[in-house]
Amino acid sequence: MKREGYVSFGLFLIAGICALAVLLPAPVEARNIKVGIVDTYSGPPAVFGNDALNGFKMAVNEINKQGVLGGKIEFVTRDDKFKVDIGLNMAKELVLKENVDLIVGTVNSGLALAVSDAVAKKEKIPFITWMGKSENITGKAGHRYVFSTTENTAMAGKAAANVLSKKPYKKIWVAGDDYEYGHALDESFSRYMKQLKPDVEFIGKTWWKVGEPDLVPYFTSIQSANPDLIHFCTGGASMANVLKTIKTTGISQKIPVYIHTAIDYAVLKPLGTEAPEGVMGTMDYLFYYPELSTNQKFVKEYQALYKAPPGFPAFHAYTTAYLIAEAFRIAGKIDREKFIDAIEGLKVDTPVGKVEMRACDHQAVYPMLFGTTKISKEFGAAIATDIITLRGAEVMPACEEIQAARK
Amino acid sequence: MIKDILRTPSFLWTAAVLLALLLVPFFAGRFYVYILAVVFVTGLLAMSLNLLVGHGGAYQFHHCVFYGVGAYTAGLILAKTSLPAWLGLCAGPLAAALTGLVIGAFCVRLNKLYFGMLQISLGSLIWIVALRWYDLTNGDDGIHGIPMPELLSGSVNAYYFLLIIVSACLALMYLILKSPFGATLRAVRDNPQRCEAVGIDVRRHQLLAIVIGTFFAGVAGVLFVVLEGSVFPDMLFWVLSLEIFIMCLLGGWFTFFGPMLGAAIMVALRTFVGSYTDYWTLILGVVLILLIFFLPEGIMGVNFRSWQRRRERRRSADDVR
Amino acid sequence: METSHTLAALTSQLLVGLSRAMILFIVSSGLSFILGVLRVPNVAHGSLYMIGAFAAHTIATAFDGSVAAFWLAMFCAPLIVAGISLIAERLLFCHLYEREHLMLLLFTFALMLILGDLTKMTWGADYRSIVAPPFLQGSIPVLGTAFPRYNLFLLLVGPLVAVGLWLISAKTKFGKIARAAAVDREMVGAIGINVSWVFAFAFVLGCLLAGLGGALVSPTISITLGMDHSIIIEAFLIVTIGGLGNIWGAMVGSLIFGITQSVGVMVLPQFAIVFPYLAVVVILTLKPTGLLKSVW
Repeated sequence: MKREGYVSFGLFLIAGICALAVLLPAPVEARNIKVGIVDTYSGPPAVFGNDALNGFKMAVNEINKQGVLGGKIEFVTRDDKFKVDIGLNMAKELVLKENVDLIVGTVNSGLALAVSDAVAKKEKIPFITWMGKSENITGKAGHRYVFSTTENTAMAGKAAANVLSKKPYKKIWVAGDDYEYGHALDESFSRYMKQLKPDVEFIGKTWWKVGEPDLVPYFTSIQSANPDLIHFCTGGASMANVLKTIKTTGISQKIPVYIHTAIDYAVLKPLGTEAPEGVMGTMDYLFYYPELSTNQKFVKEYQALYKAPPGFPAFHAYTTAYLIAEAFRIAGKIDREKFIDAIEGLKVDTPVGKVEMRACDHQAVYPMLFGTTKISKEFGAAIATDIITLRGAEVMPACEEIQAARK
Repeated sequence: MIKDILRTPSFLWTAAVLLALLLVPFFAGRFYVYILAVVFVTGLLAMSLNLLVGHGGAYQFHHCVFYGVGAYTAGLILAKTSLPAWLGLCAGPLAAALTGLVIGAFCVRLNKLYFGMLQISLGSLIWIVALRWYDLTNGDDGIHGIPMPELLSGSVNAYYFLLIIVSACLALMYLILKSPFGATLRAVRDNPQRCEAVGIDVRRHQLLAIVIGTFFAGVAGVLFVVLEGSVFPDMLFWVLSLEIFIMCLLGGWFTFFGPMLGAAIMVALRTFVGSYTDYWTLILGVVLILLIFFLPEGIMGVNFRSWQRRRERRRSADDVR
Repeated sequence: METSHTLAALTSQLLVGLSRAMILFIVSSGLSFILGVLRVPNVAHGSLYMIGAFAAHTIATAFDGSVAAFWLAMFCAPLIVAGISLIAERLLFCHLYEREHLMLLLFTFALMLILGDLTKMTWGADYRSIVAPPFLQGSIPVLGTAFPRYNLFLLLVGPLVAVGLWLISAKTKFGKIARAAAVDREMVGAIGINVSWVFAFAFVLGCLLAGLGGALVSPTISITLGMDHSIIIEAFLIVTIGGLGNIWGAMVGSLIFGITQSVGVMVLPQFAIVFPYLAVVVILTLKPTGLLKSVW
């Protein structure tokens, strides 16, 4: 053989040895519970991802003092950049390579559905979404391996419809992000509004692409149509932009506006005193309301660690950690099926009281709070005022509805 | 011709690699089988681009559009209609080739940069429609849980299916490139004016090459659907088109297997480096710049060039004697 | 009542579209200029736009968000971007001018990847937000609908930039040399002009415009990673339909882009964003080299 042949053969041999070293399975490690987190840590939705991670870390530190089943809870994070294809790849990698015991996360509802279907159901691994709010996740697309520890669009829609149907709004314009979450918000709210106020009219719908940078032309167009109420169905990517554009165009001063999660602190804090006032919103957690000692303790500890009060993502993630720990304790071993059996119907203590993981649809039961934004000098940002509370039982869709939808 | 190919040493190497790949699922964990399958799909896509750019000299700036069209066609047929699966899988590459023909017909009228810019424009239109037509394509969410026939579902089955199809496609590409058509294509790449003078219809050859290249891109798209069970609008986004270019550059433009190697390296880097750092694209950018400055012929190109030079030296030495 | 209502709505959309077109023009004119003189499709143009926005935020919020800080940001952010582009040009770019288009395109793509991650490293992954000075906030009534004041400001700045660019290109010595070098660089070199520095200036000027666009657009949007990907495809399409290298072509292209999208929102909101792309396809089918004459 000529010299270049030897070189090529040598390279091939080296490559082969490297491949073998990589491909041979790694030794099994000691047994902690490994949680894989797929969430958004870049761009505007990072506000939520970071808040959730902080809440989760705080809970895990508390839990690991006692430990679970003789070991600790450890976690790895992956940034999905709010893109479904990247997130799905990350989830697959976490399951196939990192061998996680369960997956949590996904602020992006589209990704939550994709992970639920392509990873959770296919690989039979539990997936808990702590921020993907589309009701379809535990509703018509729900199954044994997917759970939600976030309030969903059905609950938000029902709560909002309960309050807004009593007001004199007849012509409603819908505008939002053109993806799973946006459409789910619209469907839920419209459904419940029509039930409670049959003469309501949805005079127009505007859907912009996820992350659309320039919303002004859409706003001016909506303003020209002069509706009684605008329902913004906006998610993590555009929330900041929508609120900002509301402020710069001053649209909420002429036309009432309702946005789910608009009163959440994680959303309002980055805007500071530039947040728009008078925007109506719903949320399941506020750090300043209700004034329970358990909540105040939670907020104080969180603030000591992270310099700012928690938003709903932190609350959900905190609750998720405790649900995971308690479910594994009841299950008695790190077994996926036993975990699922244990978590169904489980109730855990949270900063705002007991929260139940409902067995029939794997949806956590939360109350809903309805409020209006107002700048608070004390916090240097906007908070919610005129808060109306709706209990979990009032806002959850009935189990029969869910069973019917899943068929 | 085929007998000659079978006797060359590179064929033996190829057969050895193929055998190794056939045996991988017996040794490797599921994740690595999956990653190799991703390499097959991406590699086929890169090879199809190289057919047009490396061997054909066309400024195919938005090649991934055809990949996406193939994937979406198959995905939509399988997910939203009750037509038989094989119909969907075959329709994908055909739709891609048809799109290639239409867009190609627009583009071959122009030269070089205009060709590329026009293709970006037309391709972007298809991308934006796929992104915004929510009722049809689910827009940004993509389509998931696309049902696959039993034979093709499961990581190992999908792996073998992909291996077989990709090998067949590569073999086909090799034959095309070795054929007189391939020679004409390279002539058109090197000197289109001379070809015109000799009487070759440059435009028609380019168009035919485009149809073939986009057909294979469509096959890659369909294979993606088989492997992942999903389609995403980002499959049609211009960044992916440029990433495929990088794969060809990395592996070597003028060699046959170069793009496949480039794809393998890119996928490996993205998967393994990407899990350690958030700044994987920075590393990719630096690698690309180093390539452009120091290794524009790619990794296999180095070997190829030195091999070519040695062959010429030997030949000229023979001539002297 | 109906007609005047629709007319008011249409006017409002047109004005919004025009102001958006101004930003697009500022960014794409820089891209077109670079393409015309250096024959380089600068994919990193979007990244420089993004850096302009981030830099503007840093400067504007550095002095407690005062009005002076805002204008300082508008002035300095483009200069910072110009500085970055000068470094990139002198260190790396100038060695590649002899190479073919494809290599240059891939080089600028690599630059885009690197600048994107450098932005992430410098400013983090969170989004930013800056506010326009108080007298540019809020809206004024125009024909019955509220038109944001900042957009009006953009409507004034855009033509100013256009005129300024035209003056540089047509009336200054540099502009004339640049246009000559675009057509025949060897000749320009042969008569003793340092072509390398001409190219450097042209590149820096084009990138400065990208930075300016980013700085100007920042009060109206969330400043975030990913801005580079979305603007660059639009800029490329505008340059293509306007005529490669033609500044006025960039203006025409931007107007078409901005207005079709804006009016599209009124007509068919779901596909509003598709209209500019359709317009591009129609124009390129009829006139593949662009509406106005290409520089080469």
